Amino acid sequence: MMSNFDSMVTRQRKWMLYWLAILVLCAGFLPYTRIFLGLILGSSISLYNLWLLQYKSEKLGETISAGRKSRSGLGTFSRMAAAVLAVVIAMRFEEYFHLYAVIIGIVSSYLIMMIDFIVYQITMRNQKED
Amino acid sequence: MGALAAAIAIGLAALGAGLGNGMIVSKTVEGIARQPELRGPLQGTMFIGVALVEAIPIIAAVIAFMAIFQ
Repeated sequence: MMSNFDSMVTRQRKWMLYWLAILVLCAGFLPYTRIFLGLILGSSISLYNLWLLQYKSEKLGETISAGRKSRSGLGTFSRMAAAVLAVVIAMRFEEYFHLYAVIIGIVSSYLIMMIDFIVYQITMRNQKED
Repeated sequence: MGALAAAIAIGLAALGAGLGNGMIVSKTVEGIARQPELRGPLQGTMFIGVALVEAIPIIAAVIAFMAIFQ
């Protein structure tokens, strides 16, 4: 059986990939290419940030429960650097990427995380009542 | 002035993130060390907490960068 954390990680990755797929379709078929390309760039970096945070928290939990001392942090600096990299790319190739769309894309994984958490809590509460 | 704005933004954001993350991780480490069978739920709670705390400094880093190159 999958643990609580593992199932949450899988759900979040799934929703993030769905979101990216929708954005790719929109960039291909809708007229606002610059905005959608920016959203794709931001969301890709966001997916990397999500994966890194999940990987690092898993590693931290493993190390502590094994009784060892943790040597690595949670990767905050790497995530900040990734977000800044996306903005650098957007500023350098301004004719292809909309800057504000890139920033909204970077935040998308946090939005997905929160929505997923709220939906999960509501589902669990309903299941308990039934 | 842009560099000063960027420095203030990133400095305050890093201060907040450092304090917040430190509290969350220290309590989780304590909890898992005390009851290793609760690792799954504790990890999940830590994950959500760290993500919430970290969203703002990441945006602050982006804004600081934009302020430098304005």
